[in-house]
Amino acid sequence: MIEISGLGKTFIGQDGAAVRALDDVNLTVQENEFLTVLGPSGCGKTTMLKMIAGLLPWDQGEIAIGGAPVRGPGPDRSMVFQNFALLPWATVLDNVAFGLRMRGVGKKEREERSRELISLVGLSGFESKRPGELSGGMQQRVGLARALAVEPSVLLMDEPFGAVDEQTRRLLQEELLAIWEKNRLTVVFITHSMEEAVLLGDRVVLMSARPGQISEIVPVPLERPRSSDVGGVERSSDYVNITAYLWERLREMHEERSVVAGSGPSV
Amino acid sequence: MNANTETRAPARTGWVSAAGKVNASLLSLVVAALAWEVIGRLADVPFFPPLSDVLGVLGDLITDGDIFGNLLTSLGNLALGFALSLVAGLVVGTAMGRYRRVNAALGIYVYALLTAPSLVFAPIFFSILGAGQASIVAVVFMYSAFIMIINTASAVENVSDSLIEMGRSYGAGEWQLVTRVILPAAAPMIFAGIRLGMGRAVTGMINGEMFIAVVGLGRMVTQAGKRFDGAEVLAILLVIIAVALAAIALVQFVDRKVTGWVPATSKESG
Repeated sequence: MIEISGLGKTFIGQDGAAVRALDDVNLTVQENEFLTVLGPSGCGKTTMLKMIAGLLPWDQGEIAIGGAPVRGPGPDRSMVFQNFALLPWATVLDNVAFGLRMRGVGKKEREERSRELISLVGLSGFESKRPGELSGGMQQRVGLARALAVEPSVLLMDEPFGAVDEQTRRLLQEELLAIWEKNRLTVVFITHSMEEAVLLGDRVVLMSARPGQISEIVPVPLERPRSSDVGGVERSSDYVNITAYLWERLREMHEERSVVAGSGPSV
Repeated sequence: MNANTETRAPARTGWVSAAGKVNASLLSLVVAALAWEVIGRLADVPFFPPLSDVLGVLGDLITDGDIFGNLLTSLGNLALGFALSLVAGLVVGTAMGRYRRVNAALGIYVYALLTAPSLVFAPIFFSILGAGQASIVAVVFMYSAFIMIINTASAVENVSDSLIEMGRSYGAGEWQLVTRVILPAAAPMIFAGIRLGMGRAVTGMINGEMFIAVVGLGRMVTQAGKRFDGAEVLAILLVIIAVALAAIALVQFVDRKVTGWVPATSKESG
């Protein structure tokens, strides 16, 4: 379980002005929950994820995982990055084994474990390829395998499918669902797509920008498993209604922002 | 942008264009040699003899065996000076690129010494270290270390933040982060600096030998110059150029071994 209370962070922007990146964020992610976080750019969703990962400090509040306060990165969490963040000089096998290696797992064991994960994400036969030889979708499968290889209890995903094309993205979503339905990790998944947020999530956290705040938490009562019939999920009235509702809310945020930006004397 | 391409684009230098490259280099060498010969004959001045004279003298130097002892001495100075520079370049450069405070503390000296004419330090080394190998090695170091430090520093600084974040998120400590993520990622750019450093090290070796210790190839150039023997000066110059090219080829060989993962297309521009 992840408990976030009163989380706040102020950045000093390039122009010297203070930007309230996160303001009084309170959120509890349940054990084995797939939580998706949706919001316009600048709402602080990635910032929040990096704080959970222990990669960024914050000014106010507390983050605790399983009751233990977060003080930095830890073996209980692993992260999947939007731009994949693979080591371009290392093979698929070595990339997947990276986290295990950092944790001092012996060569034989980490290669064995990595091969299992490579097969799980459907990349068997590509073990000795380098990232530059793979498509974006395949690279992110490597990123996912690397994250799962360390057997985390929390999987943090930062717009993981944002850099791949639509068809690849749909395939990856289905595969992620299928994997998650088996291992039921706690997942925090950042996205800017309402369809993705609803298809994957148990709840959708809707964030708003300036300051970055949680605007609403929308439960997604769609049945699981969803991976076997994604088409059926997408035709269901819950899916259609929730996505439409989320878009309405997001559009309001954009409109508010353009009103704010357009009104008042410009300085 | 190429995230969706299934495999990376084939390298442009296939064997056909590689052969073309070799032919072009050969042709260029032949033209230069001819030009040298013709200009040398027409000009008819003592310090620019035609290529054939120079090659004749070079042949004599080799058959005498006079040049080998000096060449070995020079190579020893070069190897030692360059090795020390390389260590300094990697260690200091990495520290400067990674830690802002180190950069603030050392940057000014490194830039000052990079731009200062390195030979002005020769008399200082001469008076402290004497007219021996140590002084020449020190001169070689002054010539080659700072370009490698600066280059390594900016290579390390330019490693993408997301790779570093990735490393930290998987629990890499500072040492692991530097050795397993930052240095490999920075390697292609670091090697560009090492190549420059090697070229400067050869210059430093010759200048040091001519100026300070009068040993090695530098001594031979000085002596030939004093005899107004232009052909021998140029013959030794050819040897020095060969040394420089061989040294740089060695760096490139190691570069290719270490950074073979960089796609050929993105390397061509560098």
